[in-house]
Amino acid sequence: MTFAITDSCVDIKDRSCMEECPVDCIYEGDRKMYINPAECIDCGACEQACPTNSAVSIASLGGKPGEWNVQDNADFFGVVLPGRPTPLGIPGGASHLGRIGADTKRIAALPPRDPS
Amino acid sequence: MADAADHADVVVVGAGPVGLFTAFYAGLRGLSVIIIDSLDEPGGQVSALYPEKIIRDVAGFPEIRGRDLVDALVRQVDPFKPHWRLGHSANRLLDSAGVFTVTCTDGTSVSGRTVIVTGGVGNFTPRTLPNSDDFAGRGISYFVRDPSALRGQRVVIVGGGDSAFDWADTLHGVAAEVVLVHRRDRFRAHQDTVDRVLGRGVRVLTNSQVHSVEGTPDLRAVMIANADANELTRLECDHVVAALGFVANLGPIADWGLSLRDRKVVVDRLMRTSWPGVFAAGDICTYEGRVPLIAVGFGEAATAVNHAAVHVDPQASAFPGHSTDEPGPRRLSAPPALV
Repeated sequence: MTFAITDSCVDIKDRSCMEECPVDCIYEGDRKMYINPAECIDCGACEQACPTNSAVSIASLGGKPGEWNVQDNADFFGVVLPGRPTPLGIPGGASHLGRIGADTKRIAALPPRDPS
Repeated sequence: MADAADHADVVVVGAGPVGLFTAFYAGLRGLSVIIIDSLDEPGGQVSALYPEKIIRDVAGFPEIRGRDLVDALVRQVDPFKPHWRLGHSANRLLDSAGVFTVTCTDGTSVSGRTVIVTGGVGNFTPRTLPNSDDFAGRGISYFVRDPSALRGQRVVIVGGGDSAFDWADTLHGVAAEVVLVHRRDRFRAHQDTVDRVLGRGVRVLTNSQVHSVEGTPDLRAVMIANADANELTRLECDHVVAALGFVANLGPIADWGLSLRDRKVVVDRLMRTSWPGVFAAGDICTYEGRVPLIAVGFGEAATAVNHAAVHVDPQASAFPGHSTDEPGPRRLSAPPALV
């Protein structure tokens, strides 16, 4: 069981989570952040850091409308993203990769967040 | 816990819960043990990241607080007199004629007849304060090892987690002044500790970050950037404690030549790595279907030690007998506290 970042992060990307994560497992997509489920150690530091309450434990999403985010976080690493030759997989740390200028299909298809 | 020895039957690399239980189990099997860890205190990620969290999947404990579990594991291993090497980061591993030598980043080394790697998610290093490299060792520290060393000083603690608040709590009344600086208005620390520290009147600056550090040669002040006011304020102080959490990295173990998969050490059912005589247990190891839980790691520790015992003495049995069969010094220790 790990944490995941939900779509409430889309077009906000505060990135505090990235600074707090002790294992550098939070990756920056084009419109939102994603937690690598294979690298997350379930410590909960991101949950405390996130100003939009987007970083949540997977268990808390069970049966909720946002449950699709669990698979979506995993897909960011398991599915070939636009413009990349292979899936990200388990890179062993986000900071050396920098910003990944892509999102999962489902996130990319979301309408832009109303700036209000 | 201070006991220096440079050779033992087993060198345990990593003093997290699984490493501590590994050391205990090696003691139970009559093996001498050296435990190495990069952190200054035992407990690994439990101590570094969530000492106040309630853990609910340790056999026999419906609930136990992280730091209480670590305390109980230390009490469990202590009667076997392991040799502690805390604050030492394992850097290189060499094998010469059946003797393994682990060299630490500070140049010290220990040797053993077998090595059990229980390094979890790797080497924890404190997250450093920006623009402060020059002040390491002259006014900035990342741990409070000896609160009395800060007696009478004006101390700025940076961070909002358990360590920041624990140290604020400890230093209040010892230091001349304690100011806690945190970048948010919410705190990660345990609410009881937060309430106690706030109740004691420790000055807390929220939505604030240390922008830079001043003073030559000694630290004199920090410049605080406040997100609400959008301005820099000078805060005079003598010492800064940066409690910004830790960053873990597999570190040098990745280069030891052990077979890895997805940045984990591959083991077989006997918890053997690809290097004969080197075993692994806990979250640093991997095999098909492994579930990364503390409960799993404890079982792996027992498996690893029992097979390591056979490596040390090929005449030994992998089955140790039952711990209930023998009297032992461990019975003299207090039972773990129930919560």
